[in-house]
Amino acid sequence: MNTLVRILLLAFACSSGNLFGDHVSGEDPVSLVEDTTVHIFADVAENLEEYTANPAALQALVRKNLMPLLDVDYAARLVLGRAGRGIEKEKIDAFSDCMSELLINRYSKGLLYFAGETKLWVLPQRGELNEKITRVRTRVTLPNGGQAPVDYAFHNTPDGWKAFDVIVEGISYITTYRNQIMPDVQANGIDSVIERLGSGQLELAE
Amino acid sequence: MRKAPALISAIIISLLLAGCAGTQNRRTDPEGDPWEGFNRKVYAFNDGLDKVVRPVAVGYDKIMPDPFQRGVGNFFRNLDAPVTFVNQVLQGKATQSADTFGRFLINSTIGLLGFFDVASRMGIPFYNEDLGQTMASWGYEDSRYLVLPVFGPSTLRDGVSRYADSFIHPVGRAIHGRNKWGMWIVRGIDQRARYLDQDSELKQAYDPYVLMRDVWMQNRQYQIYDGDPPMTDYDLYLDDYPEEEPPPEN
Repeated sequence: MNTLVRILLLAFACSSGNLFGDHVSGEDPVSLVEDTTVHIFADVAENLEEYTANPAALQALVRKNLMPLLDVDYAARLVLGRAGRGIEKEKIDAFSDCMSELLINRYSKGLLYFAGETKLWVLPQRGELNEKITRVRTRVTLPNGGQAPVDYAFHNTPDGWKAFDVIVEGISYITTYRNQIMPDVQANGIDSVIERLGSGQLELAE
Repeated sequence: MRKAPALISAIIISLLLAGCAGTQNRRTDPEGDPWEGFNRKVYAFNDGLDKVVRPVAVGYDKIMPDPFQRGVGNFFRNLDAPVTFVNQVLQGKATQSADTFGRFLINSTIGLLGFFDVASRMGIPFYNEDLGQTMASWGYEDSRYLVLPVFGPSTLRDGVSRYADSFIHPVGRAIHGRNKWGMWIVRGIDQRARYLDQDSELKQAYDPYVLMRDVWMQNRQYQIYDGDPPMTDYDLYLDDYPEEEPPPEN
């Protein structure tokens, strides 16, 4: 599913926090996505050669800018669902760390792949901004000339709006991933899943 | 339909065989997928069929230059227009049906039988409708998941609708009227070639059957709501999780 994976990567990459990681809390989700997209794309386009030669630098950039905008803990809890019942907090944290590392890895690769040839634009917020949860709709141009609709789910936290799901052509990353991970954890235990995620045997995206 | 009985019996026999080979008896969604046992067998059958179809699709993908493949894709997409048009009318989407009518006219002529999507370049929007979506818009919203032999993921509603649509669709009409399967086979290969990228991801999944179902059902919902489905109720996911409850001691 390379195409979809790349879209997902790009999608997450685009929501990857603003360049200095100091976004104003209280900023609305649409502006968050808009600002961060412009920043991160500009940086990667400008330093494409350097980042291609030194993926670690790109990963550092992504880590610094991505994490402040994402609620990975919340995403991990949604993914684990009832399979997380009775599991120690340290293990759940380890699981959510694994998810973040994989995400950073994948965004970075996606950014390199897409840099320069892709456009993304954010559609205006529709209706009133819900107090708790909202969807930011974007469109991404694909290398083959087509367009893909990519939405982000944000929820409001004490630290401002945070993204926790990405939805490509109606397919939710959380829903899809959850239905694979939950039975795996129930059948094989969280340790086994964490280990396979960490060693790259278990892919994050569908 | 002279050859149809032979085809149908071949499918039934293969289904029975696939049933023997079926190892998974998981029940993952009794509400949305009450026929999961049957569906998994058909899924296994389709998977077996894919051992023949996939190599052909790989060959097609390798030999045919990208612009040609795009042309073939455009050609078949243009042939969907009559079905889309009729269903837009049934759903009362007057302006959109006019767009589809115009698209079909332009692409079938200036676009050389649809190989070139001239209409898109002229800014005429593309829509996709079918009887399944029409029935959903009429109130038949939830339908049980149903894996069709050969065709793959569907629902009861969409499977029946698909058959009805085939009497309008040019490819279906060629089969019903003149028993010509050529276009149908080429379209199948072309469509299969578009999903080659996704094979490895599907294979690696913990439960490929569920992955296929999730992806298809969510995308179908997206089509039914014309790209704006209601937001997932994430709280439901969270209710499963004991937020304040301390973990057990042992």
